[in-house]
Amino acid sequence: MEDCKENNCIIDITDITKTYRLGKIEVRALRGIDLKIRKGEFISIMGPSGSGKSTLMNIIGCLDTPDGGSYFLDNTDVSQLKDSNLADIRNKKIGFVFQTFNLLSRSNTISNIELPLIYSKRGSEKTRKAKIYESLKAVGLIGWEKHKPSELSGGQRQRVAIARALVNDPAIILADEPTGNLDSVTGEEIMSIFQNLNRNGKTILLVTHELDIARHTNRIIYLRDGLISNEESIENPINADQMLATMPKLEDKVSKSI
Amino acid sequence: MKRFSESVKIAFQSLAANKLRAFLTMLGIIIGVGAVVAMMSIGYGAQESVISSVQGIGSNLIIVTPGNREEESHGFEQMIGEDKDRKALTVNDVRTIEREATLLNGAAPAILNSSVVKYLNKNQRVTVYASSEKAEFIYNFEVDKGNFYTSSDVLNSANVVLVGQTVINKLFGRIDPMGKIIKIDGKNFTIIGTIKPKGTDQFGNDQDNSVTIPITTAQNKLYGIDYVNMIIAQSKSEDTMKQASYEVERILRRAHNLAPDEKNDFTVQSQTQLLDILGTITSIFTITISSIAGIALLVGGIGIMNIMLVSVTERTREIGIRKAVGAKNKDILLQFLTESVVLSITGGILGIAFAVTVSVLLNNFTILTTNISAFSIILALTFSTVVGLFFGIYPAMRAARLNPIEALRHE
Repeated sequence: MEDCKENNCIIDITDITKTYRLGKIEVRALRGIDLKIRKGEFISIMGPSGSGKSTLMNIIGCLDTPDGGSYFLDNTDVSQLKDSNLADIRNKKIGFVFQTFNLLSRSNTISNIELPLIYSKRGSEKTRKAKIYESLKAVGLIGWEKHKPSELSGGQRQRVAIARALVNDPAIILADEPTGNLDSVTGEEIMSIFQNLNRNGKTILLVTHELDIARHTNRIIYLRDGLISNEESIENPINADQMLATMPKLEDKVSKSI
Repeated sequence: MKRFSESVKIAFQSLAANKLRAFLTMLGIIIGVGAVVAMMSIGYGAQESVISSVQGIGSNLIIVTPGNREEESHGFEQMIGEDKDRKALTVNDVRTIEREATLLNGAAPAILNSSVVKYLNKNQRVTVYASSEKAEFIYNFEVDKGNFYTSSDVLNSANVVLVGQTVINKLFGRIDPMGKIIKIDGKNFTIIGTIKPKGTDQFGNDQDNSVTIPITTAQNKLYGIDYVNMIIAQSKSEDTMKQASYEVERILRRAHNLAPDEKNDFTVQSQTQLLDILGTITSIFTITISSIAGIALLVGGIGIMNIMLVSVTERTREIGIRKAVGAKNKDILLQFLTESVVLSITGGILGIAFAVTVSVLLNNFTILTTNISAFSIILALTFSTVVGLFFGIYPAMRAARLNPIEALRHE
């Protein structure tokens, strides 16, 4: 178990529980989870469907609140917050990346990346533009600013989503099956972006089915029946850039700047 | 501010994405607002032209008509023509009023009739105004050429006539009508003057298609009657209108030998009262039409609510995404409310444009006078905003309350 005493934990979860009521049946989705994530970690959560993965992600992502236990995000207790405060936390502390990208189909790349900034009050127009440009650069999408999601490939869409997650400089990035809808080469490219971000100090939490993907991270948490069943540290994570070099090219690279 | 402008931008984007649907939704508002503004413009136009034509006959006028208008059951009897009061007013009454009244500039009798005038082989049906020499000032007959008939013409039942511009055009063309002899109902009349053009009245009647003759001539030589249609008296000033009206009433009661318990066999009305009555009629018209149009707006509003509910369902996922990246409930509420208000205000503006077009067309191509007031435009815009807010709030609240987790899962 990690030690959180020096305030170096981004996420400090202690004994959280969550029970759903479906008609007359009670589903105990989480039955007491302890999880500490240090700043700068790249960690993955694995588990079969029904293991409570999604529920845990929703709680960590402040889309939902736990029934019991405590949850400190960046040293703030977020387990008892109201809707509007949770929205604020999601806006400033969390960057979501989804399996299905979840971009606004009518908006172009820039507008999609800008979305979190619209809901945060801080920042002038100038710093806003600088932030968007920086995120755009980080995912290698310079030159694709005016394109709509329908004009982009799957990999490019996921890059837009990652740029959107980055734009408000969140404490943690939550990626829910980010490679699930992509072919293996494109998936590897996305993992390469995550590894680069992590090397630059970003804390990233990844949820995945695939062990191959999970092995790109430093630590794997195994979830089963609402409890952590196992935990594994990866001494030598797979390096996505090296993997890519050995793989055939399926999708043209957008930019070499990553 | 950025958030609000973003909301407006999103609203226009999502309306542009469904142009036909947006237009059909707005149609209810367009028709509603268009109808309100157009009808109000007709109402105001009518009111104004009625007022100006009543004022056009002179100012500070007191109008006396035969029969007691305050007795309600009288209406029917008057219609079937068995009313003795129809003949209650005479030229002698006018003379008595002129002789005894202290608060009046003067009084003139009037008989209005429609007759055929003839010059050589040309015929024209015209309105015949029969009055006394006082009519020149009280009725505002402006003489163009020649002179108005004099008191001695009236006393002698002279066969003299003044003709309006339309009559001149129809019967004489380019010939000078002065001194010519025309036939009215078969009797010869000498033209002693012409009257300056007055234009059309509020009902589209050509006021210049008329001639005026001395009242005594009309009574004795044309119609064979001894009564008049009405008496018009002019008060010396606006302030003494009321006293002058009472004075006329008092003089006439005495002249008609009415006992104190007998009712008036005539009705005295001031010009202001007449204007009030006409005003009431036109505002009832305006209110009636406006409330019908209001119902159209209501239906339009329900259309907006319907389409907004559809839009919320369609865009559930978008709502989920926005909430995931930090949109608060009130941000979503504002976004959808903005959209419905944009929808209804755009409809309102198109409706006003439609009404202005209709009103200009009516003004130019029909006898109706229209007047689009700033008030009706402000009213229409306010109404469409209110409709947008009222019918948009429920769909917007539904959108705002969506659970982000379920919204993100929505297909």
